[in-house]
Amino acid sequence: MIELKHISKWYQVGGKPTFILKDINLTIKEGEFVSIMGPSGSGKSTLLHILGMLDDANEGEYHFMDQPVHSLKEKQRSQIYKQHVGFVFQAYHLIDELTVYENIETPLIYQNVKTNERKAMVADMIDRFNIVGKKDLFPTQLSGGQQQLVGIARALIAKPKLLLADEPTGNLNSKQGEEIMDLFKQLNKEGVTIIQVTHSEKNAGYGSHIINLLDGRIEQGN
Amino acid sequence: MIKHYIKIAFRNLAQQKVLSGINIVGLSVGIACFSLFLLYAVSEFSYDRFHKNTNRIYRIVEWWQGEKREPGGYAWAYTPVAPAMKRDFPDVEYAVRLKGSDCLVKADNKVFHTSITFADTAFFQVFTFPLVYGNTQTALQQPNQVVITREKALLYFGTANVVGKTLELKTDTTFIPFTISAVAENIPANSSVKFNLLGSFEHIANDPMVQQSNLNWYMTIGMQAFVQLKPGSRLASEQNRLNLFRRKYYPDDYKPKKNPTKEDLIQTSFRLQPLRDIHMNPTIEGGNDPKNIWILITIAGAVLLIACINFTTLAIGRSANRAKEIGVQKVMGIRRNQLISQFLTESLLLSVLSTLIGLLLAEGLLPLFNQLADRQLTFSISRFPELAWLLLGLTLLVALLAGSYPALVLSSFKPIEVLKKKIRIGGSNLFTRSLVTLQFVLSIGLIISTIIILQQIAYMRTKNIGFNKENLVMINTERIDNKKIYPLYKQAIQHNAGILGVTASEMGLGAGEGQMGTGYRDYKGELQGVIEYPGDYNYLHTMDMHLIAGRHFNPALASDTTGAVIVNEALVQNILGTTPEKAIGIQILNAKGNRGTKTIIGVTRNFNFEDLTHMVRPQMFYRPAKFQPSRIFVRLQAGDPGSKLTLLNNTWKQLAPDAPFEYSFVDEKFDNFYKNENRWSSIAGWAGGISIFLACLGLFGLATLAALNRTKEIGIRKVLGATVSQVVGLLSKDFVKLITVALVLATPLSWYVMHNWLQGYAWRINITWWVFALTGAFAILVSVTTVSVQAIKAAMANPVKALRNE
Ligand SMILES: Nc1ncnc2c1ncn2[C@@H]1O[C@H](COP(=O)(O)OP(=O)(O)O)[C@@H](O)[C@H]1O
Ligand SMILES: [Mg+2]
Repeated sequence: MIELKHISKWYQVGGKPTFILKDINLTIKEGEFVSIMGPSGSGKSTLLHILGMLDDANEGEYHFMDQPVHSLKEKQRSQIYKQHVGFVFQAYHLIDELTVYENIETPLIYQNVKTNERKAMVADMIDRFNIVGKKDLFPTQLSGGQQQLVGIARALIAKPKLLLADEPTGNLNSKQGEEIMDLFKQLNKEGVTIIQVTHSEKNAGYGSHIINLLDGRIEQGN
Repeated sequence: MIKHYIKIAFRNLAQQKVLSGINIVGLSVGIACFSLFLLYAVSEFSYDRFHKNTNRIYRIVEWWQGEKREPGGYAWAYTPVAPAMKRDFPDVEYAVRLKGSDCLVKADNKVFHTSITFADTAFFQVFTFPLVYGNTQTALQQPNQVVITREKALLYFGTANVVGKTLELKTDTTFIPFTISAVAENIPANSSVKFNLLGSFEHIANDPMVQQSNLNWYMTIGMQAFVQLKPGSRLASEQNRLNLFRRKYYPDDYKPKKNPTKEDLIQTSFRLQPLRDIHMNPTIEGGNDPKNIWILITIAGAVLLIACINFTTLAIGRSANRAKEIGVQKVMGIRRNQLISQFLTESLLLSVLSTLIGLLLAEGLLPLFNQLADRQLTFSISRFPELAWLLLGLTLLVALLAGSYPALVLSSFKPIEVLKKKIRIGGSNLFTRSLVTLQFVLSIGLIISTIIILQQIAYMRTKNIGFNKENLVMINTERIDNKKIYPLYKQAIQHNAGILGVTASEMGLGAGEGQMGTGYRDYKGELQGVIEYPGDYNYLHTMDMHLIAGRHFNPALASDTTGAVIVNEALVQNILGTTPEKAIGIQILNAKGNRGTKTIIGVTRNFNFEDLTHMVRPQMFYRPAKFQPSRIFVRLQAGDPGSKLTLLNNTWKQLAPDAPFEYSFVDEKFDNFYKNENRWSSIAGWAGGISIFLACLGLFGLATLAALNRTKEIGIRKVLGATVSQVVGLLSKDFVKLITVALVLATPLSWYVMHNWLQGYAWRINITWWVFALTGAFAILVSVTTVSVQAIKAAMANPVKALRNE
């Protein structure tokens, strides 16, 4: 499903390039549940953003479902990720002005899904996550765990094949974290490919596969 | 403490470069506009205050009051009245009559056209006009002395030191030598009493017309009269004394009439109008309406308000970012009024800065403004001392207007809530929205008004007014022996190539030309005025005025110069109450109700001989036996008039070498009717342009803040799949809504104002819907463009940056 070849990313700092990712080669098959680990600043988020097509690499090739992402135009790329990728963030990143219901609905609006269809899909998702009673509340009225649940519901609403999660449990207590991880496990069983960044060995254990990142390089030998 | 406030204020200004820039530019432009209008207003209200005795000087006016008549006064003075007042009232110190007259001046063998004013010898005792050379006591002692202004002296002689030199002046038929007795400083622009040359009243005392008017207490000869009262005199308010005076000299007015006409029922009295009141009292003929000044100040105030609103909305918009700073300061124990002082210091600093820049800007714009206002204003504190405190007050007012709301709101934050970031005020609260809407209501309203005024002007300029005013030259022949020269002139030019016709009249056409009218009885027995045009036989024909009944004048018929008249449709309709065909042969009733000697031989189609605020009034054309052709009209072939004008000028030089060749194009004279409208359209247009600019400047700032405050939301939406145009739409939507509301409010408002304005025109356009649609589209386009600049920037930004975990 995903193939990275010689991916590098750098920023010009004081006229000299500082590498954030260096020569990353990586293959992830459909249905895998991968955890990325590594110290702070090692480039985990950057890698995730590149995988999610929110950011460009400076060098290398990226193939997603047999499409050469690195040579696609912005428009085509956003078409692909709108359809196939869902994002979950450590800070949830819900829109404060919108209700739970509207937050979950938003991606469908941007994919031009018709109103009736949208209603049905959002209703299903709200059912599934057991948040029917909360659908008219605003994000600030929810606990962290509930907000992250909404964040995941929103990421899944468009039925993505790939779920990218950047420290999804970083702001949660361990019980809430466990619930989220169980949910991920469940989703993975249903066929969603998941790549998560995490600092916790325990959470990483939920995955089928761990990638260790150090100074922008993948540590060999796991 | 104050030093501390100023330091912090400076830092804040420097930190927020874009917002400070917007505020300073906006306030400077607003203040520049406002101070220009302020200067204008101050100068208008400062008229005639420079005379030492200004509070004791009054103008004699005749006040008319009647049943069917708005009360009002006329500044004409009957020749014997002023001396009689001096005789009868012991508290009248001086009386001065002023009689102006057109004249030609011959100096150093060059001929100029100017005007001369003849005044009683007390002139320099009453009015304060300093002399450069000469002596006020003796300047007007001899009948052949003349005082000249420095400006004219320089023009005629190239030097101001001209006392003792001779000027030859011609007011009617011959040049008469005058000795220059004094040179006066140039007359201040804000003086109602003006002169170029000042002669002694004695010089004209023996003039037959003046003598006649000295005996006939009802005869006006275009004279004004002033009195200076002794200190302490209250004559001006003691109307009963003035009424007794009137009764003494006008006993006929007080005899009861048997069958009083409408005119007989008008009560007439003398009044004394303070000199300081002359320029700004519209109830007396020639006075200006102060209403116009207040309208101008209001418009300028609106522009300034828009700039102040920018400051307020931007300050509120920024408050989200400042909330934390305030919270910290509060935790450290700052008191609320200290915070308010801090914020007000900031706005005061900005306002002082803007006033300085604004005044520089105003100084730079002054020439343009003077042209617009038809004045010669200068920013001079010494001439207008009140400007100093007005500008100071303006600075403080702007600081308060702009700064007080943000100061009150920001200082009221509760520290705990702020630190918890619970307070959300952005560019979205109701107050901010209302202010932005108000800005656009004002700007859109001004733009709509401008377009409508321009439409009306274009309509008046291009309307077919009933005769052909194009390619028509009018030559002034008042100052030559026109009875003799006109036939010669006509003979000399009429057969030349490019000259299509030559005619003459005793009356001019267009702006600034006089009219002559007489009363006639209409078919209901009421007295109605008829405008008369004594002209040559071919007058109507040369003007391209069309007959709809009857015939033209025939030079071969002697009777055509004794009683034949051609009248217009309006006369037939309003006075005869009949049709053009039936009007032929009718004799018009004169004012006494008798069949006169005037028989209608033709009826011409109505033409607009006045500006289009008037309906066409009854009009009468005839060829008098004693014809005084004081205007020659020459119809030119279309195309470059250059060579034809040379011909006219050369012929003139041969026939009338002593008088300047003064001509004008009739179409331009008609355009000049609309000087005021042109001025108003420029003013409204400038104000509209500036206010939309300022409003957009504010919008730009708000959009910047909105984009800033919503950076995170934009990032999320992009991650969720929003395209750039969707994000731009999201950011612009709010603003477009505001502007739509503004448009909805401004439409009926400006419609109402302009509808009322148009009622002043007998001939007017209909207000069309597309003016509003166009202006609305323009406002939305401009504002969306403004917002988009920011929105696109925000939408293009990489969302990853916005969402990076802190
Ligand atoms: N725009 C940028 N310019 C320069 N350096 C950056 C920029 N964005 C991120 N970095 C640097 O890239 C490195 C990797 O960041 P990130 O991928 O967020 O690490 P992680 O998620 O593993 O903590 C960090 O050292 C960060 O400072
Ligand atoms: Mg990270």
